[in-house]
Amino acid sequence: MFLLGYSKEARKRRDQLATGVIVALAGFILLVLASLLIYICVQGISAINWEFLSQFPRESMTKGGILPAIVGTLYLALGSMVISIPLGFGAAIYLSEYAKQGPLVSVIRLGVANLAGVPSVVFGLFGLSLFVTTFGFGRSLLSGCLTLGLLTLPTVTAAAEEALRQTPGSFREAALALGANRFQAIRQVILPAALPGMLTGAILALGRAAGETAPISLTSATAYSPSLPDSPFNEAMALTTHIYNLATNGANIAGTRPQQFGTSLVLMAIVLGLSLAAVILRARLRRSRKW
Amino acid sequence: MSEKEPKISQDNRDRPEEPTLASVVSVTDGASLFEEVDEKPKAPLKVPSLEGAPAPAESYEEASLRAIPLKPRLSKAEHGSRFFFLLCAILAMGQMLLIMVFLFTESVGLLFSQGGSPGVSLGSFLFGRDWYPTYPDASFGALALIGGSLAVTVVSTAIAAPLGLGLAMFLSCIAGRRTREWVKPAVELLASVPSVVLGLVGMVVIAPFLQQTLNLPTGLNLLNASLILAIMATPTIASLGEDALSAVPQDVKDASYALGATRWETIWRVTTPAALGGLSTAVILGLGRSLGETMVVLMVAGGAAQIPNSLFDSVRPLTSTLAAEMGETAIGSRHYQALFALGVILFFMTLAFNLLAWYLSRRWRTRR
Amino acid sequence: MVAEQNGFEAAPNGQGGGAGQGDGAGQGGDAGQGGEVIIKADNVSFFYGQFQALKNISVDIMADEVTAFIGPSGCGKSTFLKLLNRMHDFVPGTRLAGEIQIRGTSIYGPEADPVDIRRRVGMVFQRPNPFPKSIYDNICYGPRLVGVNRKADLDQVVERALKAAALWDDVKDKLGKSALDLSGGQQQRVCIARALALEPEILLMDEPTSALDPIATSKVEDWIRGAGMSIVIVTHNMQQAARISDRTAFFYMGQLIEFGPTLELFTSPKEERTENYITGRFG
Repeated sequence: MFLLGYSKEARKRRDQLATGVIVALAGFILLVLASLLIYICVQGISAINWEFLSQFPRESMTKGGILPAIVGTLYLALGSMVISIPLGFGAAIYLSEYAKQGPLVSVIRLGVANLAGVPSVVFGLFGLSLFVTTFGFGRSLLSGCLTLGLLTLPTVTAAAEEALRQTPGSFREAALALGANRFQAIRQVILPAALPGMLTGAILALGRAAGETAPISLTSATAYSPSLPDSPFNEAMALTTHIYNLATNGANIAGTRPQQFGTSLVLMAIVLGLSLAAVILRARLRRSRKW
Repeated sequence: MSEKEPKISQDNRDRPEEPTLASVVSVTDGASLFEEVDEKPKAPLKVPSLEGAPAPAESYEEASLRAIPLKPRLSKAEHGSRFFFLLCAILAMGQMLLIMVFLFTESVGLLFSQGGSPGVSLGSFLFGRDWYPTYPDASFGALALIGGSLAVTVVSTAIAAPLGLGLAMFLSCIAGRRTREWVKPAVELLASVPSVVLGLVGMVVIAPFLQQTLNLPTGLNLLNASLILAIMATPTIASLGEDALSAVPQDVKDASYALGATRWETIWRVTTPAALGGLSTAVILGLGRSLGETMVVLMVAGGAAQIPNSLFDSVRPLTSTLAAEMGETAIGSRHYQALFALGVILFFMTLAFNLLAWYLSRRWRTRR
Repeated sequence: MVAEQNGFEAAPNGQGGGAGQGDGAGQGGDAGQGGEVIIKADNVSFFYGQFQALKNISVDIMADEVTAFIGPSGCGKSTFLKLLNRMHDFVPGTRLAGEIQIRGTSIYGPEADPVDIRRRVGMVFQRPNPFPKSIYDNICYGPRLVGVNRKADLDQVVERALKAAALWDDVKDKLGKSALDLSGGQQQRVCIARALALEPEILLMDEPTSALDPIATSKVEDWIRGAGMSIVIVTHNMQQAARISDRTAFFYMGQLIEFGPTLELFTSPKEERTENYITGRFG
């Protein structure tokens, strides 16, 4: 008994102190992150109006809008999904449904996980070397989409495989016992059940593609284009590279601050909007799932 | 096993064996023997006759020799679809190989003399301190750039790890369920803020602040870059760390409380040690993210290729060198090759971090 | 025959009909008298990798009867059941020796089409596993696979299958609702109806009531008793086997120890191991 009594007060105080420190730390981080968001919103909102969203830049980017950058980012992000969704879903289906679970599949899975951690600028180098130079696509939307597609492929694959593995094996068993072949079981039963989860991963990847800078600045971006791209072989502006260009080597860095933050806000609205959609979708999915 | 089995069956050759179709097929079928090679022999090989179960009429080896492997029969269309999916998987994985191949082929020329300019030795590339790629007498020493990368990574992690882990502890062990359900997705959302936006904030807000309060010549330096990178890495570490802490079974924590431990003692002495593998994985993945981040360091690290002596020195990490200089080089030039060689270094550094994280998380999983 | 050497009651062809069969007599009566053999297994051994899960099983299962497989867990009863509709094909490293025939045609022979076999042999699993689709689409899944697509035909199939599974009155007004919204017992009967929609020649049931509460269990048991079709049911519950089956097979350590009319097997088992098991001395 006296052993406990010995340090009782001290232990209680230490507990309160540690809890206080952790709560303060957490509060501090959340405060920093929240004020960051608020700062960008406040700085950006004043620049945003209809003209900003619907016009081309004018007078060395100090006037006008960012329409070509918005369009370019949308083309690049959606185009990258054209590459990564079919390939990623296909690879995920192979890994979870066909591959014999063994060392080979573990190596593939490790490779996919590792690729997700390769810096985006390395993907940029790869795209530059493969698509721009070797395939001769030049600096173009096509090269950018292909590069971003490969960049997001591991994310899409890993998320899709996770979703597929969460569908119960009993669905597959039941379909096979009813005389379905493997492909029918996948297409008619497993895929419909896993698809919402797979798409959640794809939306997150879409957001990531839209927010990338270095890979597209190496493979497809241009500082200014007088018209919207009308072919995959055109160079294109993008929101991210536009921000970078205005902030670092524009003709009037200080003078285009409103444009810089306005563009940032538009970019964040796209990226965070997509992420938010994915988060909400995922939460809904978890709640509505009955198996 | 494959060596042993035919021998045994030879010994038993004189026993009567039922001539079935299956036995004829299986003798010529090498696949069944091959299949067994990687299987460990299991106990039931010699089941003790508990409860007086009679010995089977046929020995294990005889039955095994008769047996034919069962395989799903695939139609032509199924073979096609399977092949397509396999192709996707190969592409998804082969990309890793492709990246390495292209990085190597583009950079390997650096080591050899070319058009009169002598090749750069591996030693002088990795350990040279001078990075003057555009001078007439160019020198390609990557050490300062590697040092810059490591410096921002280490400093940013030193800031982000305690913050991220503190937030993880708060979310997992202190906050209520409702708070966690709101705060965790919000934190994850912040992990997806585009880096170029954060770089802009670093330039516009933090740089002038550092310059004025600390009376520095410029606010674009190691500290600034590390602060911004810490903001980026904290949500990643917090989210992964929370997963690790929450994966510790509740009954372990209950046992600690039942012994009279306070909440902090439970967190510090029970939960944290149990989740250590997952927590270190979280920190290493955060580290990897800082190492590979490009735009932030490009915009706020200052850009001087030197090994930093203080927090307020300007640095030029690998990633920002790549992004800044790749636009200005001619394809196939010395400089171009040197930049791809930097890519190789970066690739292997991140690979090492990823493998380390993978190894730790695996070890942790098997231990539980 | 190997089985005969051991003196197993492996193929009780001649003696099934005469014995009193308790409550199974209703539907078993005409089949019992030298009834048709629907599944014939001959010296079947089965391997998971190195592990021999089944040893020299020979058995004749009669048409239009309920046959129960009992035995302690891990005895091979479920493994044998799944061999009957080739579900082991998808498990890597499985091997089979011996011959299994359904109505005289070999199901593992070179001519056999596994997909066709699975359509002829329905299966109901341990846990209810309806697809995350509507009740209607669950029932239609099999018929659609074989090319039934006309709405009127499908409507008819669904109604017939649900009536056969004694579920029609419960769900006829909510066919469009998700099958996952039903209770566990109803879900299992949807799975039965889903299998029946293909009009299988025989229905395999792998511990179909082990995940159900007593009331739902008795409903499924009632259905099995009144189904009047060939059913093979694996159960860990000896009372259940006694209640619903015409014949019972006792498996132990991968071997078929005894097979005979249910009443006989439970009242006067020939093998000591069977007696030990049914009197609860092991298992």
